[in-house]
Amino acid sequence: MSTVTGPDGAAPITPVVLGGGRRRRPSGEPPPLPHRVPASGYWYLGGLAAAVALETTMFFSTPRDWLTRLDDAVLDALASARTAPVTAALRQVDQLGSSTAIRAISLSTIAVLLLTRGFRQLLTYLAVLLVVVLTTGNLAFALGRMRPTTVSILVPWQGFSHPSAPVALFAAALSGAICTLVPSGRWRHRVVLAGGALVVVLGLARSYLGVDHPTDVLAALAIGWAFPALAYRLVVPEDVFPLRYHPHANRAHLDLSGARGRAAHRALVQQLGITATSIEPFGLQASAGSTPLRIRTADQIVLFGKFYALNHLRSDRSYKLTRMVLYGRLEDEKPFATVRRLVEYEDHLLRLLRDNGLPVPSPHGFVEITPEREYLIVMDFIDGARELGAAPAGEQEIDDGLRIVRSLWRAGVAHRDLKPSNLLVKDHQVYLIDVAFATVRPTPWRQAVDLANMMLTLALVSDPALVYERAVRQFAPEDIAEGFAATRGITMPTQLRTRLRQDPRDLLGEFRRLAPSRAPVPIQVWTMRRIGLLAAVLAAGALAAVGVLAYGQIAGLL
Amino acid sequence: MKRFAVLICSAVLVAPLLASCAGAAPGSATAPRCSSIERLGLIAQSVPSSSYVPCITRLSTGWHTDELVIRSGATTFDLVSDRAQNHPVRVALRSDCEVVGGVPVPPRTLGGRSYLALHTISPRVTGTLYDVFPGGCVTYRFDFERGPHIALMADLASSVGLLSRVELDRSLREQLGVELP
Repeated sequence: MSTVTGPDGAAPITPVVLGGGRRRRPSGEPPPLPHRVPASGYWYLGGLAAAVALETTMFFSTPRDWLTRLDDAVLDALASARTAPVTAALRQVDQLGSSTAIRAISLSTIAVLLLTRGFRQLLTYLAVLLVVVLTTGNLAFALGRMRPTTVSILVPWQGFSHPSAPVALFAAALSGAICTLVPSGRWRHRVVLAGGALVVVLGLARSYLGVDHPTDVLAALAIGWAFPALAYRLVVPEDVFPLRYHPHANRAHLDLSGARGRAAHRALVQQLGITATSIEPFGLQASAGSTPLRIRTADQIVLFGKFYALNHLRSDRSYKLTRMVLYGRLEDEKPFATVRRLVEYEDHLLRLLRDNGLPVPSPHGFVEITPEREYLIVMDFIDGARELGAAPAGEQEIDDGLRIVRSLWRAGVAHRDLKPSNLLVKDHQVYLIDVAFATVRPTPWRQAVDLANMMLTLALVSDPALVYERAVRQFAPEDIAEGFAATRGITMPTQLRTRLRQDPRDLLGEFRRLAPSRAPVPIQVWTMRRIGLLAAVLAAGALAAVGVLAYGQIAGLL
Repeated sequence: MKRFAVLICSAVLVAPLLASCAGAAPGSATAPRCSSIERLGLIAQSVPSSSYVPCITRLSTGWHTDELVIRSGATTFDLVSDRAQNHPVRVALRSDCEVVGGVPVPPRTLGGRSYLALHTISPRVTGTLYDVFPGGCVTYRFDFERGPHIALMADLASSVGLLSRVELDRSLREQLGVELP
């Protein structure tokens, strides 16, 4: 039995061991992957706090006079060390703080983020730039500090002296480019050091050239470097929103190597009694809503896992909002409030469907990696199975597929995502996977659409007449007619829609001809919420043009 | 679609921020009063040769200042009246200026000269007022509606004062321990 040391050197906490190797996490023991701010984060926070203290001091005349005297002494020393070659070189360095250089860095960063679809990083970059520009400008005006008076100023300048706007803006543009474009690791570390050195050299150069006081530069470093570094860590932490540049890389997939992988191993043992020998990414191409994993255990059992984190929760929210705006309230698609709720829901659905006799992977529960941030749900791995669309289907597979819909109806559930990749075949038996979108007691037409989508999926790898002939053995023709009367582009999963387009046959038309005729079932609902959202979208669209122009001018990009 | 959604979101996020911050943006800084000696010190630094610096003595009702830009070589700001909303008076301090077609008017500075150059008198009264003094020159480019222009010109003349560099230097030394270069 292992023991865990309590906080602050308290007596060791003896864990309570439950059956099957599971154990309760005692109070005081950190979770498998605690949410920690890296040490440099505290340095940046300290720098910001020091800057706040400095700015507060600058508003009082006596301490401000002392600081000015101190600044003047440093400037005098620097001025006495001036030599022609150094001055010439530092005049060139001063160009780093020019609006041309800052614009070049900012616009390049924005372009790369747009091209690589790093939209969250882009929004954060724009917001941080705006905050830095406004903070610097407003502080400078509020303090109204003169330029140094004891030394000659060797380069052109503009505006009040404190904080140094060129240093703050250059630092913000550069730190933003690094934090949003360079993946973490050894290279990021080197680039951060190089970027930091450039900013410091610019600050030194401006003091040497007599245009900024040393305290102007220090305040600018805190506003332009420490604040953005903290903001990017809080808003778009790279462990949650990874930076990937591989052509097939998906930013939704998390890196399970390193600390996160070790935490997953630990959590599986402690919370589910599963000793994993390997946890590896699996089937990444087919998933964007989670990070799918294959887990091999010490007992030679293979399990399937789905890793959920904050980025998946946010994707779920934006996906549902977009659907609401575009299609109306197709069914109750309320976004999940937390990652925990998301994973709890999928686990619940798996158990519900299993208890109703549906051929779904048997659930093993889920583990907490980082409370409220990261969870891993575990279920059986259907080893040796293939996608339903990968080979022609016979009568047995067709009957199996249709029986799944029958069982869903009996359980009062709609799957809502029936498509080839969510139906696996092993030994002629069809399995249903990915129940995250399923809903209990759905809108009636949605269950009918499940039937239609299943028949279309089966027809893709067989014959529509055969599928219809087998379907009427399990369903009333009126049910089938309702399904196809409610089916249209937006009710079909994207993969199914794509495969239907690629198929030379008109499968939807064929089924509609075979089924009894029925007027289309209305599915789009215009609610006040949708109308309001649409109005907000249109208004925001109009504001966007004005906003982009005003932003560009205020942030100095135009 | 996702790009569109992000664009909309960014507009929604940024637009209110812009609206709330626009008034405090760096570009909308106001010109200093004649008592704000450190701010005037920076204006003096912008044109080191100038023997006077412009400042706001008293703003008449309906007037405000805007768009203060202080940089090495020049200082400019706008004086805006609610009776000439879209036609601010642009005030500029430089080390020298070329008086084009100006007629002398009573000088506003000791040892200096003032000129008024009218470009048009109908339908609007447009022109430039010059205050020329050793080492510097302040210009006031105005564009007023004919009729109200008489009162507006009087307001303009009483709004902007000229503080001598010697006096400013003495105040800076006494109050802040700073000496103008």
